[in-house]
Amino acid sequence: MVTVFCGRALPKTQGGYAISELIVSTSIFCSISIGLLMGFTSLERNYAATSDFSLNHADEMRISDYMAMDLRRAISVQAARNDTTIYIPTYYDQTGTPQTPTLDGQGGVVYGASGSSVRIHYYLMAGTIYRQQDNAPALPLAVNVQDFVFDVTDAGKVVTTRITFNPTFNSGGASAAATTATAFYNTTLLRNSRTDIESSVY
Amino acid sequence: MRYPDSTKHGSVLVWTVLVIAMLSLIAVETLRLVTAKYQNALQTSTWQEALLGAESGIDLAIVELRKSLYPIPNQAWEGWGNPPGNEITSHELTTIPNAGLSGTPMKIDASVDAPVQLIDPINSWQYYRIRTVGTIKITGPARASDNPQDTKLRRLSLRWERFTNGLLISKPLDDGPQVSRRIEAVVRPVSAFDQAIMSVGVVDLTNQNIVVDSYDSSDPTKSTNGLYDAAKRQENGDIATDGQLIEAGNAQIFGDVATNAGTVSGAANITGIERTDFYQEPIPVGIPSWAPPTSGSMNATTTLTADATRSSAASRYTYNGISLSGGKTLTLAGNPNGSQTYIEIYITGDMSVSGTGQIIVQPGVTVTIYFAGNVDITGNGVLNSNNQPGDFMLYGIQPPANTSLHVNFGGNSQITASVYAPGHDVTVNGGGTNGHVDGSIVGKTVTMPGVSNLHYDEKLGATGMINNYKIVSWFEDNR
Repeated sequence: MVTVFCGRALPKTQGGYAISELIVSTSIFCSISIGLLMGFTSLERNYAATSDFSLNHADEMRISDYMAMDLRRAISVQAARNDTTIYIPTYYDQTGTPQTPTLDGQGGVVYGASGSSVRIHYYLMAGTIYRQQDNAPALPLAVNVQDFVFDVTDAGKVVTTRITFNPTFNSGGASAAATTATAFYNTTLLRNSRTDIESSVY
Repeated sequence: MRYPDSTKHGSVLVWTVLVIAMLSLIAVETLRLVTAKYQNALQTSTWQEALLGAESGIDLAIVELRKSLYPIPNQAWEGWGNPPGNEITSHELTTIPNAGLSGTPMKIDASVDAPVQLIDPINSWQYYRIRTVGTIKITGPARASDNPQDTKLRRLSLRWERFTNGLLISKPLDDGPQVSRRIEAVVRPVSAFDQAIMSVGVVDLTNQNIVVDSYDSSDPTKSTNGLYDAAKRQENGDIATDGQLIEAGNAQIFGDVATNAGTVSGAANITGIERTDFYQEPIPVGIPSWAPPTSGSMNATTTLTADATRSSAASRYTYNGISLSGGKTLTLAGNPNGSQTYIEIYITGDMSVSGTGQIIVQPGVTVTIYFAGNVDITGNGVLNSNNQPGDFMLYGIQPPANTSLHVNFGGNSQITASVYAPGHDVTVNGGGTNGHVDGSIVGKTVTMPGVSNLHYDEKLGATGMINNYKIVSWFEDNR
């Protein structure tokens, strides 16, 4: 018996795919997808690392500027890695109003009581770098900076700060060279003569 | 004719829009990030530059203070609001326009005042307080940093001006965001005798193996009975020149040495630092405004009486010249009990002491001599009974340009004196059998033949003429 197909016969090209065609197309699709996925992942990681680097660099600048501001007016410095204490004149009274200086009898001047000073402590604790003035609440200068290291080198009339962090461009962790490359230096001339060591005014 | 399947084309369009949207989002986020960082960097650099502006204000104030030390007319404080004259006694304020870096407008507010708390009770010297505010416009929008700690540090004036007329009084901004930084500095007067030797030109110690050191006659730990004691030697026998050469002549220098981009030749040892960036314009000495009518020339034995009050008209004298020789003496007499007295002499011409002529400074008398001509002291020279260099001070009045004048200071006895003559060629020769000189020497050039020891009295740093101002306190007010 002959069955007659009354409708239009389907073109051969619109028929089912051959298994080989399916494999090839799936492979191409997978390759492109994986490529895209890897590309986007890489792009996203790169973006995150760049953003992290940028944030960390801004943190470095801020910490450095804070320390430089205090070092310029410092009368004494105790430098240590991630823990530096700077003493500045007692310029403000209890109400925060500037005081009139008086002569110290040694050719210099003092603010407030003779021998008084304000202690400013910079330290890294639990991933945050703080600035604490006397016993006031510590001010967090930068958060999530557990990989930061700040070194303060005291050369008497001049103090140099060096701040580094570990960049995250490499999933295996930052190399020593990469960390060194993030170093942010600041050399500050101390304007006042120091009370802790022999030094002159500039 | 077959038409394309519209659903397939729609899909392409959707994908295209989606891809463009994604790329746009990435671009926007990148732009946002970069813009924020760019703005942060811009604000930070402006903040740094504001400090330079404030510190420049301090320099400008010191320049005016130095100008006020020059003989009148000295143009000090010209262009400043409410000119205070030579004595600043009140709060002054001036606004100094400045082009700033790269054409960025900069404004400097500077004020100078003289609180009574800053008068030195020992010598009545006034210390000055200088307050300055450096202000620079911030280019870009009035937008705070994306990190609140930056805002706390830099305290940008985005809507309100923090310092108004140099004071911490907020008011709405007149035009655009800005950043201001405020500094307070205190400057103290510096004596003309701040160093053992200071010369405008060459310092020549002429191969005498001279020892230059210091002591402090006012400190018993640094002197004995107010006199130099080698066992209490200090290391502030500083030597400086505005020129380029110090011929040390195998000198032992217990102190610092400074030249103006020059060299120190032949120093056996220098205990302090050696600088090559020194320059200090010595303040010229003017004719004393107090000078009484001249008493003519002095060439006979004379006694002049000192007075217990400094700058008293009764103890001020003017002579056309002094010439003592052949046993003639000039006695500068004080109270018989040796209490402190003062005397000032202005010599319009030359001063000469030679042979058995002598100047005798009696106990307790502090002598200040201003001279317009040459000085030659030899023979018996000067007998300074106090043995304090601050009690025999010689000031050379600045000679006219292209005039060559000299000071030759010698004699048989130890020289205990301070000489400030930046317009004269100064030669110190002698110092007795031991070749000792106690004091400080300032000259156009300084030559020291025959001197084996120069002991600088650190007490001189707080006496005599004020020659400069030096910052002794610096504080940034970051409220």
